Amino acid sequence: MRRAARGDRDAFGALVASHQSAVFRLARALTSSEAMAEDVLQEAFVAAWRHADGFKGDSSVRTWLLAIARNKAARVQRPRAGEPTSTVPLEHLGADAGWGTDPSPEQAAALGERRDALLEAMESLSEADRAVLVLRDMEGLSGPEAAALLDVGLSALKTRLHRARLRLMAALRRGGRSDQ
Amino acid sequence: MTSDPKEAGVAHDREVGGIRCLEVLDHLADLLDGRLDAATREQIEAHLRDCNWCERFGGAYASTVADIRKLLADPEPLDEAVQERLSRRLREALEVHR
Repeated sequence: MRRAARGDRDAFGALVASHQSAVFRLARALTSSEAMAEDVLQEAFVAAWRHADGFKGDSSVRTWLLAIARNKAARVQRPRAGEPTSTVPLEHLGADAGWGTDPSPEQAAALGERRDALLEAMESLSEADRAVLVLRDMEGLSGPEAAALLDVGLSALKTRLHRARLRLMAALRRGGRSDQ
Repeated sequence: MTSDPKEAGVAHDREVGGIRCLEVLDHLADLLDGRLDAATREQIEAHLRDCNWCERFGGAYASTVADIRKLLADPEPLDEAVQERLSRRLREALEVHR
């Protein structure tokens, strides 16, 4: 990163290669189309190149790049009225996810099938739900890191994560179909 | 929470081990991440021992989170065309800005 900040193009190229897939995944989670996500991907790395000397090392390079991507996504994605389903009572979310309902037969799936099912269920979620799952459960960012990146408080982040997981479980039960 | 669990299609919400099913549901994420104080954790663990509904759902929740972390940890590689357009855009930007 220090070499990239000094204008070393090879070092910057290596940095792009290491993190491009993760940046695109977050961009895809935060936007409503592949084309928009691709714009975010490109502009995030252009901004990273221009402002590489602004990286202070307070976070990992990956987290810094994801924060840039999140800011770029906020500019291209039409503003949304918060998280539309955030006021749904917890017991309703839980019931959709299978809490307290009659058990369904165990569905053993091969790992590949399970992965595909998870990806399909992710697609049916809102941008807000996808983003928190990508940052916390896939990228493994800490709660404070993800909260800062999404510009929400830690308590709100925890609530959002729990609800996103429940909605993902509900989508898995529905076979990935959105309930909206 | 003010809504009726039965209206939500929930078969029960009972007190077991000094804590209700709905409170257990609310605490699942913190339980999984080890962020509960000892007293609450012990209450929930006692509830889970005696409430097979919550024990089963808690297991499914933990298993789903584990699957996300394991199966989706690595992002998909970029599509070749996306990769090419990114490289082209960066070549232009690097020429202009340094």
